[in-house]
Amino acid sequence: MSDNPSFVYIIYIASTAEKVFQALTDADMSERYWVGNRLQSDWKVGSPFALKLKRESNRVTGTVLEVDPPRRLTYTFHSQHDGLESEGPSRVTFEIEDQKDQVKLMITHDQFAPDSKVFEHISRGWPLVLSSLKSFLESGRVLRAPWYEEADAA
Amino acid sequence: MSESNKSSFVYVTYIRTTPQKLWDGLTKPEFTRQFWVATWQDCEWKVGSPWRIMAPDGRVADAGEVLEIDPPRRLVLSWRNEFKPELREEGFSRMTYLLEPQGDMVKLTVTHEIDRPKAKFIEAVSGGWPLILASLKSLLETGQSLEATRQWPKDK
Repeated sequence: MSDNPSFVYIIYIASTAEKVFQALTDADMSERYWVGNRLQSDWKVGSPFALKLKRESNRVTGTVLEVDPPRRLTYTFHSQHDGLESEGPSRVTFEIEDQKDQVKLMITHDQFAPDSKVFEHISRGWPLVLSSLKSFLESGRVLRAPWYEEADAA
Repeated sequence: MSESNKSSFVYVTYIRTTPQKLWDGLTKPEFTRQFWVATWQDCEWKVGSPWRIMAPDGRVADAGEVLEIDPPRRLVLSWRNEFKPELREEGFSRMTYLLEPQGDMVKLTVTHEIDRPKAKFIEAVSGGWPLILASLKSLLETGQSLEATRQWPKDK
């Protein structure tokens, strides 16, 4: 393991790049598939980004770094609760590739401090959130995980 | 993986289904043919049983044996590619399915590892598993696998 961990996850969705990009940026949709958490941003480069956590008055905050619909979205990610705020911001990048009859969605979450606690949280969280996103786009139904809603979503 | 003499790949996905349906999806030909590029697995599913992934043209794509089996919770296979000499020569890997029910869904963890550093085989399966498992999830949740996984690739 290198000193600065990074998280990479790929999922394939029977959808279009436009619909995946919309789901990754739409506040109401996020509240459904992101187990109750809600995205907040106007998605302009340099604008604030926030993820309002269902159980917490605190949020994840950040800044929008890149917006290239429907292919690429990048923002910084700074947890503001449970002592995690002392870690600096990390970086989230979504890459969306239209393939025949499906979309390849790749997330890279990197720029963590060595021994980052946020890294441990997000490594558990992203597979659930992106599995739920896939279910939402393919079937209209989302996933629920008691452990995720009881814990903090990074 | 911190040990430098190993290569490993771990993938977690959550599927709205039951452990038994997921187990059947991973092992029974009528399901694997729909999401695992038209292949089926030839196995008696007992400890020590030989295990083979059969391509639709009858060739053996991968082979090994059942190391541990506890349906519908855990399966461990030894696994070697039989197709590409540069992968076959790396020897046997070890693949584990772990199925954990969580409410109305199942957490599926696939761990694929081999006792050698920077293995080409692990690089190859790292590219394959996300697509196969995404298609299995689609099949179990919607009744439709991903189109790209329904046929054996023409160039193989």
